[in-house]
Amino acid sequence: MSKSNLSKYKIVFLGEQNVGKTSLITRFMYDTFDSTYAATIGIDFLSKTMYLDDKTVRLQLWDTAGQERFRSLIPSYIRDSHVAVIVYDVSSKKSFELLDKWIEDVKIERGENVIICIVGNKNDLTDERQVSLQDGEAKAKAHGAKIFLETSSKLGYNVKSLFKKIAKTLPEFEAAGKSGEEGASEMIDINVENTTTQDGQCQC
Amino acid sequence: MTQVYQNEFVFGEGGGKGTNSTQLASAPSLLKTLSHAFREKDKVKKSVVANDDIKTIGTTFSHLSMSNNESSTSLNLSSSPKRINNSSSSLARPKVSKRNSFKFDSPSLTPRHSDQYTDLDDDWDADVEHGLTTTDSAPKNLEFRPQTFEYPTLKSKRISGSVDSFAKVKSNTPLDDYYEVNKTKELEAAKEKEEMIAVVSKINRYKKILNEQTIELPKLKKMAWNGIPEELRPLSWQLLIGYLPPNSNRRDLQLQRKRQEYLNGINQVFASAKEQTTWHQIEIDIPRTNPKIKLYTYETTQRSLERILYLWALRHPASGYVQGINDLCTPFFQVYLSDYIKDGTAVENFNPGELTKQEMNNVEADTYWSLTKLLEGIQDNYIHAQPGIIRQVNELKDLIKRIDFDLSQHLETENVEFIQFSFRWMNCMLMRELSVKNTIRMWDTYLAEPNGFSEFHIYVCAAFLVKWSDELKKMEFQDIMMFLQNPPTKGWTEKDVELLLSEAFIWQSLYKNAAAHLR
Repeated sequence: MSKSNLSKYKIVFLGEQNVGKTSLITRFMYDTFDSTYAATIGIDFLSKTMYLDDKTVRLQLWDTAGQERFRSLIPSYIRDSHVAVIVYDVSSKKSFELLDKWIEDVKIERGENVIICIVGNKNDLTDERQVSLQDGEAKAKAHGAKIFLETSSKLGYNVKSLFKKIAKTLPEFEAAGKSGEEGASEMIDINVENTTTQDGQCQC
Repeated sequence: MTQVYQNEFVFGEGGGKGTNSTQLASAPSLLKTLSHAFREKDKVKKSVVANDDIKTIGTTFSHLSMSNNESSTSLNLSSSPKRINNSSSSLARPKVSKRNSFKFDSPSLTPRHSDQYTDLDDDWDADVEHGLTTTDSAPKNLEFRPQTFEYPTLKSKRISGSVDSFAKVKSNTPLDDYYEVNKTKELEAAKEKEEMIAVVSKINRYKKILNEQTIELPKLKKMAWNGIPEELRPLSWQLLIGYLPPNSNRRDLQLQRKRQEYLNGINQVFASAKEQTTWHQIEIDIPRTNPKIKLYTYETTQRSLERILYLWALRHPASGYVQGINDLCTPFFQVYLSDYIKDGTAVENFNPGELTKQEMNNVEADTYWSLTKLLEGIQDNYIHAQPGIIRQVNELKDLIKRIDFDLSQHLETENVEFIQFSFRWMNCMLMRELSVKNTIRMWDTYLAEPNGFSEFHIYVCAAFLVKWSDELKKMEFQDIMMFLQNPPTKGWTEKDVELLLSEAFIWQSLYKNAAAHLR
């Protein structure tokens, strides 16, 4: 029960269906990938403990269903969250266009009092790409997103990096992040490794 | 007394709790909560209700102990030695599993097992005596019982004879163990035969009902509640769900008409341009419908399900296609498909591409209409804001407060909201928690209940949650959530499902319509 003392941070994953929200979380949690996850119904929950410096936090991840019909459930989860990760599929222009709507939903519930991350998933699908990296970056900037990344859950590309960046924004680690600045290597996170090489992208 | 002891031994584990340890563990805990429930109920209604209640329990547990062999007598709530000793009750004891026979090889286990049995029996008594008098159980299928008894009567003499000599051998010779094993095997064989007979007789009784010119649905429902034999399931389901009329004269015509109607519908909707949103939605969900089961990886299966779901969605614009409906489609598909498999391939491995177009059309049409009927009863689960599900979630919450107050308190303290874990239970009818095979067994009962999918299901969910009560009460928020999203049901068999259904039946008979005055 001593675990209860850990600081807990809620992170909600949003976005159109089939952009890979569940895959992203599963890759982070278990470092596995499966192309056939059953569709998420309502909301799924996962929890992971992260270590950084001498501190430990617990991330509570809320994985929402993309389908329209389940939308009425989502606002209450957004309301509770510190971080909103909005995912689109780089091979689906539509999922990118609908980002605006998701961001608006988040701002309605949380105002500016939330960390917004924008993630373009499936960047392994180079032949089918419909959204450029630049467009993604521009959109992230326009909406004041703190984090923007392209990822591939399939290849495991940038996934750990994403969660590391998210952790850095949490009050618990913010100070540590600033003092260490370039110090990605200072992260003593057993789950987050080899990320330095992938850090080349916009940090906004 | 030796004899009694032997009897107890032989039937101890088979006495309905199954060999599965989770079952053994959950029965007493159920009783614990049950007795609590009785106490609570007692405060409200006095003895008038009590008699009915205990009858219900008798029914339920008799079903529970019989598993798929509801032919034998119900579990004896007042276990006097006399009763145990008497031959008809010995034959009435349900299955002795093969696993059991191995245990006989090790005599050192003997006392432990008999202890176990006694313990449980004490529990029965303890609860029965708890302010309740009637010990007679009233099995659901009372009218079928005499018939069943006819078959095994002759057998039973032989069995009780062998039990006698078995007992003597044990007390006399030093070669106890050797004989014990042999005699037990003999006994085992007899038991198995008897079981076979019971199964066959069940199927025959079932067939008798189905062969009547006008099927008496109440009779069929009573039988179906306890599980439908596989070969008779397709027809039974079509009758129970109201797709086919009970009158056999009208059945062929109806089938013909409905199947044609389905084909017309398909031709019509696929002639015009596809409704893109719906089509896309279904298209992405099909490959992720039971992807681990071979049947669902075949092209023919996927195209069939696609057509069924698309037609249904277009014909029901108020809800349209909602994720989870794809899951609900699969039990029908699997059951109806199984009717056409000739070579004995398990349906889950079958490639439906081997069937003729005509046969596949039939399977599809029947699945479509059955799904339509099912969804008619739970329409408000899938319309905007899903009020049906919200209602069910709230009902579950209320129910748990009464059934297991401690658990409900604990969940509240940990800030676990019912909607967080039970939304999916309602939206997918627990299909994400149970295998398709187990779901099919569960639906036998749901189809036999008056409002199986909209009401009885809530009691099943309650039984499902309370099952893990002890574990959950030791956990904090995230562990509770993780546990409930991935409950340990992978190894579940039909028996586990039947226990769950029996427990649900108890909660329903205690709390249905009792909500108002307990609130």
